[in-house]
Amino acid sequence: MDDKMNHKTYHRSKTVTVVFLCTLMLLGLAGRLVYLMVFQSEYYTLKARELHERERSIKAARGRIIDANGKILADNKTVCTVSVIHSQITDAEEVIAVLSEELGLSQDYVRKRVEKYSSIEKIKSNVDKAVGDTIRSYALDGVKVDEDYKRYYPYDTLASKALGFTGGDNQGIIGLEVVYEEYLKGEAGTILTVTDAKGVEQDEEGEERVEPVSGRDLYVSLDINIQSYATQLAKQTMETKEADHVSILVMNPQNGEILAMVDVPEFDLNNPYTLPDGMDASAFSEEKRQELLNAMWRNGCINDTYEPGSTFKIVTAAAGLESGAVKPEDTFNCPGFIMVEDRKIRCHKVGGHGAENFVQGTMNSCNPVFITVGLRIGVERYYSYFRQFGLLDKTGIDLPGEAGTIMHKMENIGPVELATISFGQSFQITPIQLATTASSIVNGGRRITPHLAVRAVSADGTDSKSFTYPVREDVVSAETSETMRYILEQVVAEGSGKNGAVEGYRIGGKTATSQTLPRGSGKYIASFLGFAPADDPQVLALAIIHNPKGTYYGGQIAAPVVRQLFENILPYLEKKDYNRT
Amino acid sequence: MAQRNASRRGQKKGESFMDYSLLFIVLFLVGFGMVMVFSSSSYEANLKLGDSTRYLRQQLFASILGIVAMMVVANIPYHFWERFAVPAYIGSVVLILLIIPFGYSSGGATRWLYIGPISLQVAEVAKLGMILFLSSLICTLGKGIRTNKGFLLVLLSPAPVAAMIYIITNNLSSAIIVMAIAALMLFVSCPDYKRFFLLGLIVLAVAAIVIFYVVQTAEAHVDDLDFRGARILAWLDPEAYSDDTGFQTIQALYAIGSGGVLGKGLGQSMQKRGFLPEAQNDMIFSIICEELGLFGGIAVIVMFLLLIWRLMIIANNAPDLYGALLVVGVMGHIAVQVILNIAVVTNTIPNTGISLPFISYGGSSVMFLLIEIGLTLSVAKGIRLKDL
Repeated sequence: MDDKMNHKTYHRSKTVTVVFLCTLMLLGLAGRLVYLMVFQSEYYTLKARELHERERSIKAARGRIIDANGKILADNKTVCTVSVIHSQITDAEEVIAVLSEELGLSQDYVRKRVEKYSSIEKIKSNVDKAVGDTIRSYALDGVKVDEDYKRYYPYDTLASKALGFTGGDNQGIIGLEVVYEEYLKGEAGTILTVTDAKGVEQDEEGEERVEPVSGRDLYVSLDINIQSYATQLAKQTMETKEADHVSILVMNPQNGEILAMVDVPEFDLNNPYTLPDGMDASAFSEEKRQELLNAMWRNGCINDTYEPGSTFKIVTAAAGLESGAVKPEDTFNCPGFIMVEDRKIRCHKVGGHGAENFVQGTMNSCNPVFITVGLRIGVERYYSYFRQFGLLDKTGIDLPGEAGTIMHKMENIGPVELATISFGQSFQITPIQLATTASSIVNGGRRITPHLAVRAVSADGTDSKSFTYPVREDVVSAETSETMRYILEQVVAEGSGKNGAVEGYRIGGKTATSQTLPRGSGKYIASFLGFAPADDPQVLALAIIHNPKGTYYGGQIAAPVVRQLFENILPYLEKKDYNRT
Repeated sequence: MAQRNASRRGQKKGESFMDYSLLFIVLFLVGFGMVMVFSSSSYEANLKLGDSTRYLRQQLFASILGIVAMMVVANIPYHFWERFAVPAYIGSVVLILLIIPFGYSSGGATRWLYIGPISLQVAEVAKLGMILFLSSLICTLGKGIRTNKGFLLVLLSPAPVAAMIYIITNNLSSAIIVMAIAALMLFVSCPDYKRFFLLGLIVLAVAAIVIFYVVQTAEAHVDDLDFRGARILAWLDPEAYSDDTGFQTIQALYAIGSGGVLGKGLGQSMQKRGFLPEAQNDMIFSIICEELGLFGGIAVIVMFLLLIWRLMIIANNAPDLYGALLVVGVMGHIAVQVILNIAVVTNTIPNTGISLPFISYGGSSVMFLLIEIGLTLSVAKGIRLKDL
């Protein structure tokens, strides 16, 4: 009996011990629960939400591109994206029939997507809004029609190479569209829906919407009227001269604003992947097709370099005057050639220009005069002016892919090279570089940055950001600049550039005719650079005709292009200025 | 003998003691379990089987059967079972062996026998069988249990059954539970602590060595590890293995953590919608936490604490050692499973499949647990009221 009681006592205490230990462990687990559900709750809630929520993005409307007159150059239009949600489809056959019919797709193509086991499958994007509305009106289970924006260019080919276009996700591919992507694209919104593990939406959980923020409108200095007229002129010239391509740049030499940038043939911004007329895309390999497209999109004004030829004499003249190596009244004699070391370099006038002063030499575009001036300046000084004028750097224009200058290294320049550089050969620059450098020489010596974008304004108009561009003062002295304006006015008034003259206006300018490499190919580049008014330049234009047939002299075929342009735009700009003030 | 007669007489006079507190706690847990089984299974059951109440109906059927069995057992004087000690042991062994030719597989493991329309998880039977067998064995040994020979006999006699459960049904958890029940019953019936302290140390040391070995091996060649080794790695860093072995654990943690203090509300779990596979089974506690929050989770733990406390009271007031040991066995069974289940669900220990008593979906489990409760109710009936 005692023994039994004894048994009972330790049995009891041991049972209590067991329960005590179990209680301790359960309390420990309760503590673990507190840790997980209070202190770690935020972390796991976030993780779980990421797991449960599916994000559908709502595209933001891309900012428009607007010209100097407020005309919209790049806009958006509403299109639809049609998708199917596998788990919600009730009548697969009808869905396949309707979608293939309305979207013009093969039944097999649609069937493959409808029968694919995925949470959401895109059937077609960039569907016209009307078609999207029709599909929506069928009210098919599991078919989703989401509205979306597509870039739309009202003027098709106008300024195509400057504006650029956007890709399938509305991102900029070339031109302003890519440079100002950050401003234009806006912020995509999102629709968050809660789904089960298979992606089935849980209706009772509702959806959370984050509204998209539209991109900023980009106001550019391009003037649609000038651009259209310049394009028309360039096209005409290309056709009549059977040229390969024609570029026309129009800019404000005072601040660097580009008023027009033409490089015909242009392409259709609304169909940027369609090869030029007469080319069958299927005839080429993928690689070749891309090559052709790249060539079509290439902007000759900034992406390609060329030998500027005589228009570059503006730079040699400015360097000569600035360094004191030459004065306007200095006299020269041109026998039709000049000996540089053992080389005989010819003037374009076979009999020579005879005796002439520097101003006359420029009016005649006389090579021996400029070679003499170049040699007087000397390699080192010439090179330092080359650098000072900004010719060794890119202009910094707000377009992608600007090509750099192709120039000799200074230590490789001998007298012969210096002689050829002096009249614009044996090195290459871009048209925009030439126009910019000429601008800074005639505008009083300020190296401006050529640009198109003026300001970016938020969609609601409340926030406007104006772009500023670097300006470098004292590239040449005001005096040199004034002399240059005088000399270049003489070139147009009575010299080789007289075809660029416009009645009633003071025009300055310089012609150029350069043979393309390799020499003797019979291919030429004719160009003319003009500005007006000559005493206070407000507009500067550069026309470049690549490989014209027949007459190829810049003074005869390029100068008239700029003249016609000026005849139209000078009164227009005056009127615009008048209206503005 | 006189005392026993007296007590029997007392019962006949209507002083029989029905432990209504225990009954209430158990019925509450079973009812709550059914609510949670429905909540955690209905979404997937509807999606996969087109029948949202499938699991609920099966659980309800098993529970009713279990409650009937419980009431029957409660009204049979528990000494009736003393004579079935050896048959219970042999029966368990035979049932487990029957798995080899007749076993039914589900989820990659062969653990069930079909008896007519009813599927039976043999490990659940074995747990009950072991409680019956060990209670008798310890009573028969008497003072002999204090010797090392007796100690080892009690400790090792369930080992073959545990080994068979592990090897034949590939069910480590049930094997561990059988051994844990034996260890607890032995602990209560021996007066000393020293040997158990040593036993505890050995278990801890083995666990530490296994973990150390797994981590070392993992650093060298992960592929050499079997799935249990991988589970240990997933336990140490579940997010690194969230695609495979750590998947269930991570999903359970998401459920628990996202429940927060107040929970998402009954029926509002997101994790049960296909993210946490078979949410109604072993991981049901995580859905309870997600839907009912920290309060719900703690409330369940408190209910189990009350249940264990109630069983302790019965054990400590049992009329004799046999009755006390039966109750201790049942208490150990429930306590070990609750602790291990919650520890697994909260990733406190490596993942191993252990159901939460009375709440997890599983007919055999609920039925045999209810029969065990019937045994304790029967023991409780033997308590003389004046003892309390």
